[in-house]
Amino acid sequence: MKAMLSILITRPRYETATHYLYHWSTLLVQVANNGGNKVFDLEKKRASRKNVESYLSKRKLSVVIFNGHGDSHSVAGQDGEDLITAGQNANLLKGCVVFMRACSAGKVLGIEIMKLGGKSFVGYKEPFRFYSNEKEYFKKPLEDDYARPFFEASNQVGVSLIKGKTAQEADENSRKVYKNIISRLLTSNASNSFVIPDLLWNMRHQVCYWQEEK
Amino acid sequence: MTDQKEVDTEIINLVVARLKTIPPDAHLSVGGDETKTMNSEDLIVEVKKQSEIGKQIIESQLFFLRSLRDLPIESNA
Repeated sequence: MKAMLSILITRPRYETATHYLYHWSTLLVQVANNGGNKVFDLEKKRASRKNVESYLSKRKLSVVIFNGHGDSHSVAGQDGEDLITAGQNANLLKGCVVFMRACSAGKVLGIEIMKLGGKSFVGYKEPFRFYSNEKEYFKKPLEDDYARPFFEASNQVGVSLIKGKTAQEADENSRKVYKNIISRLLTSNASNSFVIPDLLWNMRHQVCYWQEEK
Repeated sequence: MTDQKEVDTEIINLVVARLKTIPPDAHLSVGGDETKTMNSEDLIVEVKKQSEIGKQIIESQLFFLRSLRDLPIESNA
């Protein structure tokens, strides 16, 4: 039987990209809640640095999932506020399994998290991209077929971690989903097959770091 | 040098031709210092300018074309 996990998920929402991230991350929150875990859902304005630092300092969290904008040194919350920044507070993720669905955070921040005792890290060393048809689907982003392949594949990292898989397994499972989607798009008349180069981009730049078992 | 420039132009033309097949209602969210959503026309401008985003788009399109041989294809499709 899977042990109960303490899971923190950040889901800012203030413009198109975070709007899509927010809604597709709802599925992660649902999976986490259904699994009988202790779930802390920091959505919208609650995705602040103050809250994140407070939760990380006061609670022993097993899995921490960030959704939002990012760059090589930081990951952001509501209105672009930096939540975790290299050289400032990455030490707070010591002992945690971390997934950052954010641009480029795997380049520097992810490495620093691991140096400071993070258990494992999955993220992206280049910008995370996705297509959307925001004009038609802004109000129903979960039905947007342009966005779906990007979020189904990247959500698999979070789903796997929430289900107690290791970061390596989560990374591998996600890559399988990418390959299945690409295979399907290549061999169909799907109107969204133009997304394949960008799916490949995300898959190629997804990184996974972990501590060797001692 | 001239050959190199010619190849570059050919590559840009190839990538632009591919980007023209993207439906006009599709917008790509691209991160970076200033996050933007861009339609195919915007992407073509970036590719022609060879901006940082444009170079990344060129790289990803070329990677896709070069890896077509190795990409997974469902046998029963």
